[in-house]
Formats: sequence, C-alpha cells, structure tokens
Amino acid sequence: MGYPHKPHPQETVVLSQYFGDPEARTYQGWVKRGGYEALAQALTMEPAAVTEVVKESGLRGRGGAGFPTGLKWSFMPKEKKKVHYLCVNADESEPGTFKDREIMRWTPHALLEATAIAAHAIQAEVAYIYIRGEFTEPWAIMEKALAEANAARVLGKVTIHLHRGAGAYICGEETALMNSIEGKRGNPRIRPPFPAAAGLFGLPTTINNVETLAAVPHILKRGAAWYKALCLSNPKSTGTKLFSVCGHVQRPGNYEVTMGFPLKDLLYDMCGGVPAGRTLKACIPGGSSVPILNREETERTLLDYEGCVAAGTMLGSGGMIVFDDSADMVYQIMRLARFYAHESCAQCTQCREGTAWTTKILERILAGQGKTQDLDLLLDLSENMTGKTICVLSDSCAAPVVSGIKKFKNEFEDYIAGRRKPVMVA
Amino acid sequence: MADELTNLTIDGVSVSVPNGTLVIEAAKQAGVLVPHYCYHPGLPVAGVCRMCLVEIEKTPKLQIACATPVAEGMVVKTQSASAKDARQGVLELLLINHPLDCPICDQAGECELQDFVFQEGRSGTRYAEYAKRFNPVEDFGPDVLYVPNRCILCTRCVRFMDDVAQEPVLNVSERGDRAYIGIHPEARLDHPWAGNVVDLCPVGSLLSKDFLHKARAWELDKTASICTGCSQGCNVTLDTRDEVVVRVRPRPNLDVNRYFICDHGRANYRWMNRGDRIEAPLVRRGGDGELHATDWDEAFAHVLGILRGASGKAVALVSPGASTEALSLARRLFSGFEWTGAFQVVMGEEAPLAGVPNLALRAERAPNAKGAEGLGYTRDYAAALAAAETAAVVLVLDDPDCAVKTAGALIYAGTILGPDAACRAADVVLPIANVAEEDGTFVNRDGREQRYFQAKPAPGMARPAAWVLGELAAALGAHEVA
Amino acid sequence: MSASHAAAQTEEYRPVFAGKVLEELQAILSRYPTKQAALLPALWVVQRERGWISDRNMAEVAEALGITPAYVKGVVTFYTMYHQHPVGRNFVQVCTTSPCNICGAEGVVKAFLEQTGATDPGATSPDGEWTIVEVECLGACGFATPVLINDDFIEHVTPDRVAELVKQYR
Repeated sequence: MGYPHKPHPQETVVLSQYFGDPEARTYQGWVKRGGYEALAQALTMEPAAVTEVVKESGLRGRGGAGFPTGLKWSFMPKEKKKVHYLCVNADESEPGTFKDREIMRWTPHALLEATAIAAHAIQAEVAYIYIRGEFTEPWAIMEKALAEANAARVLGKVTIHLHRGAGAYICGEETALMNSIEGKRGNPRIRPPFPAAAGLFGLPTTINNVETLAAVPHILKRGAAWYKALCLSNPKSTGTKLFSVCGHVQRPGNYEVTMGFPLKDLLYDMCGGVPAGRTLKACIPGGSSVPILNREETERTLLDYEGCVAAGTMLGSGGMIVFDDSADMVYQIMRLARFYAHESCAQCTQCREGTAWTTKILERILAGQGKTQDLDLLLDLSENMTGKTICVLSDSCAAPVVSGIKKFKNEFEDYIAGRRKPVMVA
Repeated sequence: MADELTNLTIDGVSVSVPNGTLVIEAAKQAGVLVPHYCYHPGLPVAGVCRMCLVEIEKTPKLQIACATPVAEGMVVKTQSASAKDARQGVLELLLINHPLDCPICDQAGECELQDFVFQEGRSGTRYAEYAKRFNPVEDFGPDVLYVPNRCILCTRCVRFMDDVAQEPVLNVSERGDRAYIGIHPEARLDHPWAGNVVDLCPVGSLLSKDFLHKARAWELDKTASICTGCSQGCNVTLDTRDEVVVRVRPRPNLDVNRYFICDHGRANYRWMNRGDRIEAPLVRRGGDGELHATDWDEAFAHVLGILRGASGKAVALVSPGASTEALSLARRLFSGFEWTGAFQVVMGEEAPLAGVPNLALRAERAPNAKGAEGLGYTRDYAAALAAAETAAVVLVLDDPDCAVKTAGALIYAGTILGPDAACRAADVVLPIANVAEEDGTFVNRDGREQRYFQAKPAPGMARPAAWVLGELAAALGAHEVA
Repeated sequence: MSASHAAAQTEEYRPVFAGKVLEELQAILSRYPTKQAALLPALWVVQRERGWISDRNMAEVAEALGITPAYVKGVVTFYTMYHQHPVGRNFVQVCTTSPCNICGAEGVVKAFLEQTGATDPGATSPDGEWTIVEVECLGACGFATPVLINDDFIEHVTPDRVAELVKQYR
C-alpha cells in the first residue's frame, strides 16, 4: 500500500495528522490519540447546538460543491416526525482526487466519529457510508473499524452501515448516491424535492463528503473560532483543505493547507514543481470538472473558493492535476471527454449524446481529420451542454473543452492544420 | 376560491390555473404547446429529455416546464432566444444517432421528432462524418417490436410498465450513449395493456407488429369511437384508410380510460372490415319460399305486414353490442305486444390496469350490456329462447349465432348471416351497419352513456339498426314505452 | 433465446442464495428498510460466488428481493464492476484517465496485454487466466498508476513492474 509523504512545514496538519500511522487505525490507537472525545462532547449538546457550531466555523462541502455545511444541516426538519438519514459520500471518483480514501485508510475512526456527530446534529437514526466499489482497501479498513466501534458501543444512537458502490462516477452526485443505496440505477433526481425534505427512501436526508465530515470533530473540540481563523484570504473560505496533487509533479500526494494558500507555493515549494527540465503548462486545481488554468493563471491563484472563481476556475474537490510542457493537451482533453461520456447516466439528452459527440470530434482531430469548424462546433456543443441538465456532469465535460480550446488553441490548430502528426486512428 | 388559483403569464398570455399546476399544463390554457418528449400527463414526471426547457423571468437557468409548478406572477417565455436555442440543441443531439428512416418508418407523419425538427430544428446536420450507433431490432413480445436505433430514451415505455401497468418488464440498460431499452429474456412484454407503449413512444422505436408497414399516417382518417371489446367503454379512435379500419388507438378520457386501451381492444377491429356481409334486405316470398334480395321499401312493407297482423308475445333476442338507440327501438316496435327482451354476453378473464383506478379489461366482453339492462332486457336468454318458440314475432338483433326456433314470424336484423345459421329460417333479413359504420351510443358498466361516430360507409344497402327500426316504429306510430 | 437461457433450460440451476449465503442475504436485508435496497450488495455476493452474473442469476436475485428480472438487469448493466459474462481468473483494471494517462498508464495496459497474452482490453487471454480492462479514475491519482487485480489494489505500477506482478499472480 502507498504511504503518504511526511508533512511539509508549510502544511496545516489537521485532518492528515495521523496519515501513515498504522496504529491510528485501531480503536485503541484512535482513543489514545484523543479520538471519540468530540463525539462524547457532541452527545451532551442539543442537535441544533452542534449545527450552530459547524455553521459558525464556516465549514463548506469538500466534495466539490462548497455548500456551507451547517446551513445544509439546518435544512433538516427540526421537529422529528420521520426517520432521518445521513449519507456519507465516499464515492470519490473525480479524476485527480484521492483524499477521501486517505482519510478512510489512515483514520477510519475519524470518519466514524464524524459520522456519529453529524447524525446527532441532524437527528439521523441511520447513516450509510457509500464507498465506491474499487476502494477495496478502504472498505476492509472501514469494516474493521466499524466492528471495533460497535463493539465498544461508542457511536451513540446512530446505526452506521457501509454500502458498496459498483463502478459509477455519477453515484458521487448526492441524489444519484441515494438512488444507488435504494438499489436503483445511479440516476440523479430532479429537484425539488430536495434531500432534506424527501431524500433516501423518501425521508429527510443529508449527504456529506468524507473530508467535510472529517473536520467536524476538530471543530467541536477546538471551537468554531479556531476553524474560522484558519483563513488566509477570503473570510468565506475557512479551515484547511486536502489538495490531492498528481500528474507531472515531483512529489505527488495529499497536501493539507489553510484556505487561501497560494497555488504557486503548493506546487513549487511543497510538491517540488514539475519534473526537472520541464516547464509548467497547465493545472486543473479542483478535479477534472473545473476549467483548466494556464501557467500564468496557475501561478497567481489563491486556493479557496472565491480565489479560484476569481482565476476563472473553481476549487471543486481540490484534485489538482498538473501538466507540464510534455503533455498533449488535446489528447488529455479528449481523454477527459471520454471519461464523462463513459460515466453519463443517459437520462439527459445533452449529456448522453453531447459527451459522446464531443469525444468523437476530439478523436477525429487527434486522428488528423479535424476541420477548422470543429472548434466552433465544440464550443457550440459545450454551450448546449451547460446549465440545461438534471446534474452537472454535462457541464463538467464542457469545462475542460471550453477552457482548453480558449487557452491551448494552438495545440488544436496544430492537429487540424496537419502540423502535428496524428496520434490516433479514426 | 381565488386563493386556490395562481395567476401567471405565458408567452404574453395571462392565465389563472389551480395552485400547483405544472407550467407545461398551464401553458395549454394559454394556447401554448411546450414541445416535449418524456412528459406525459398519464405518467410520472421524468424530466430527462430536456426539450421543455423554458425561460422564466428572474430565474437564472432555463427550467423544465414539466417539473416546474406555477408561481404567482411568474412570467414564462417559450419562444425566447435561449429557450429556442436549447430546444434546437436537444433536437440536434437527438438526431445525431437517429437513422434517416422516415421513408420506411411507421411513425412518419405522426412523429413528434419529425414535427419539432420541422418546426425549429437545424436545417442540416453537423454529424456527417461520424458513424451512427447501431443495434438490431428486437422482438419484445406478442405485438411490440423495438427499434433501438430510433429510440430517444424518453423512458415513457419504462415508466408506463413500472407505474401504470405495475409490471416492470422494461428497463434502461447500459449507460451514456450506449443506453437502450432492455428486457430480460425470462419475461416478455405480454402484459394485457402493453400495447400502450407503442402509442406512448413519440418516435418509431416501439412499433406494433399488427400495424407494421400497413399504412401511412397521413392516409388515415380518424374517427372517435367506443371500444366494443368489453363493458369498460374505453374511448378509442378508429383509423381508417380507404374505408378499411386499420388501427385502433386510445382516445383520452380522464374519467374512463385515461390515455390507454388494452391489447384485446386494440386488436378488436378486423371484424369491422369483414367482407361476408348481408348487403341487401332479404324477404321470403315466391313459389320457392326462398329468401330473395329486395329493396328497403319491400322489406319494410313485409315487416309491417307481419307486425300489424300479429298479436300476443313478442321476443327480442339482441346483441349487447347493439347501440342504445337500436335497443330502445327494438322494444318500442313491439308496443302492444307482450314483450320479452334478452341478451347473452360472452365472458372472459378480467385484466386490470393496476395503476389506474377503475380501469380493466372487463369480464363482460360487450359494450352495451348495461344499456340493454336499462331498457328492460334481461340476461335470461334461455327463458327468452323458450318464450320465442311460441311467440307471434321474434326479432333477432345482430346475434348471428342465435339458435332460435319459433312458430311465429322471425325477423333477423344483423351484419352477417352464415349459411348454417338458425336465423336463415327468418322471414325477413335486414342488413345493418356495424359499430364503425354508424353513429350511436353505448352505456358502459358504470352507467356512462358515450357516443361513437361513423368511421366508414356501410356496405351495400346496409343501414344503421336504429334507422331501420326507427322507420318501422314511425310507420307503426309506436308511442313511447311507459 | 440467449445462450444462458438455453443452458438454464437444459441444466439444473444451482441457486446462489442457499445455506450460509442465504444467511448472508438475510443479514444484508436487515440493513435496509426495503428489499430492493439490498440489490447492489446481493449482486456483489453473486459475483463473489460465481465470478459473474448471468441472466438466470439475475432472475434468482429478483425473486429473492421481490422485484423483476428486467429491473435487476437494468441495474447490473448500469454499474461497470458487475461482470455479465465470465472473465479471466485474474481480472485486471488499469486506470487510464488523464492524471494517470500523463504518467504512462497506457504503457501499463500495453505491458499487461503483452505479458498475459490477452489480445485486446476486455478480451480474456487464451489460457483463461487474464482479462485486462482500462477503467476510469480509481481515486489514487497521486500513486500512479493504480491497478486492481481482483480485489488487490496495487499502486505505483509502471510498465517494468508488470512482468513481476503477472508472475506473482500466475
């Protein structure tokens, strides 16, 4: 199994404190490290009070949407009339992202404790942790940890179940995740109704990402003010974030930094920059569904929600994919389009047909059969695929295409004009 | 009352609709058809085709009209540039893998993809150099063929089987642009109401084997009628081509059959076209005592002669598929007689449509048993047959298998008369129209009187039974039965 | 008629959910308020027991959960990890999505194909031992290239490591 790197001095180590520490995986080991104290504290508080603390901290969803967590919890009915559910989104399938699996592999009890706290806050009797099918190792570790926690009877009133996915990126979308737990195809649902009103099995439900929840015990123990103070730029983005850096970097891995941290420093100081002799060409900071940044943009981006928007991209999941000058941007954008085409659930016309057509156009360009009109066609298609569907998978396919054509147009034109040799067969 | 209504504006037209109405339904009141595929008022909302995206003022993104409830003061625009662009985008994407099958596709002329593409689609394709997705045709069941290449994945068929028929034998298989409508080899699409998926399919993907390549939609005349398959009284449309009934489809009636008919009713039309009809009135006369073809004047004179010269018992043995008008006159004709009227009904197995209250293929396989009962006819056919033996006059109305024997006069009014039928012994044979050849009413099992209309001309000299009996009754000056 | 259907007609079908496996299904059912919600876990059990999920298996699961075979099939065909036909004894999933792609993932696929004798991705090698498939992001992008061999998640796979791995699993 892969071990994480030693923490870099510029990291703000909160969630990743025990990454690489095998003893932290056991119940005894976790208790020794202060585990389950936050839960014990939470269980003495009123549910609404726990929600208030999280609201105050400014914690936002770390799965990609960045929705304020305390606010999301407050959507649940205050008056308890029906069964409430909590779903933990451990489907982590956004290309470039690999942080949730580390939280599960190294600190499974952190997730269980956080789940129990959240369940208490939203008055959920049952919590399902939805783990993607390919995560065989995190699954085994979580299973063991859950057995230990249950044996120690430390989780409070909530019953936690693990639910295994079976190979579908779209099940990371919160309503598709609920459908998948219900034994259905992973189709996102039209909204309204919203999950807090009618979610899993038609009952009030909250869905939270693993990394989001992992912050909760820390917030309870050290206070909302502490978390809020972890802020280097915009006060609306607080706390720490695990950035999964991968691709053309010398030291790939998860790096935990305070919100607002400069991307440049993360890339060059912590990750060692691109391999020797190469130059940075592009970076996608938030998982493949956000616009690609060119070198200049990358070097001036601040890593928080607002900072990324200001740079023309989004923080997303924080899955940072780095491309150096050896990368064929056209090929990689094609490969991303192919990813989205493979993962489309098939409900919405724009996504089902648009992702596949986008892929085909890019494949033809790479096969040396592209035409100049193809770029306008791709942009037109991307516009058709944006803002018109049940979920944003369609928009996510458009993002790298639009930003790629805008910022790396010469690479596309090289293929179309025949200045670059085809790398595919039509 | 006012606060149960919401006021909004759609394409500049102000409408007031009940709270909670979907924008796509409210638009109908404004006279606006919002183009759509997956939405159907008889099915749960899916919101997947994305065709009904409309612009709503003060809302940043386009919204699907089929899943958006109205709000007070809402301003909806279906013809704004963004809405039209979105629709054109959906149409373009639906066409990229759609085969250019119109010349050989049954749906042509009644195809919603054709209609909307013609209305606002692109004039040329941008997908010329790419291969279209191909899957072979599949036989889903007794009457349904599935042509995957034409499927637009609106999922109406899946939702119908899931929620209305409540027998989920269709699924969406695979993902992305590889998706198609699938079926498991151990379960066929043989539900008694499965044929409705063919009507629901907006394109020529689900086809009726019975109708396959039989006629072009624009060649068809459509007439409102009532199904004669059972006592439910489903409203149907008879599609005729060159005066031959070639197809039966449901006609919406929210109180009776909603949007559906069963497969039994759907297949129940061939008899309307049979060629072995009685085409002229027949009277028994002449030295040979045989039945001779004649005109209506002589036939009427013959019948009136029989009726004026007889007294005592009269028996009417009728079909429960005769119109209410004809049945009423078949009684009025015998005012002054001691009248007995009876009918017999073929029974079969009931087959409910689980997702719709009070809708089923009924055990009583006749459309007007209730109408007959209401007019005094009974189901005691045996007793009526017995009474007929000694009756002065017996009228058999459209019951060709009636095995009646009588010492009195026998009048047969019907559509067919087989060579060995007992009614060949009739003194007069009056040719009548069948349900497709006349106007009339039936009363269904719930007591609902419903009209049907003439779809094609009756053959030869055959006339509606109500006309025939009405002329006779008028000539007799027969008054209303008390 | 599909081949598996024809086979089912001629041979006795041996149910998956019997004995201990049936007890396992009951335990699964107790975790959800509806029977249908046990579908994904139940399918995993079938695949574990039989190596893949046949039409007949789908019908068995359907009956156990009170849903239709067509419904089960719709779910099986949606999720890519369920096999609808037999695969090699070693099922190898190599991630080739962009983050791994730019770190040489396609070379890893090629190496696996060469080392195992499987001709194309998705095809099973002639000796029935190996099926190699390209899959989408496995969520281990910083440990490129990740490879799943059956349930073993192996990280940092490079083309020159492949021969050793193949030998290890033979």
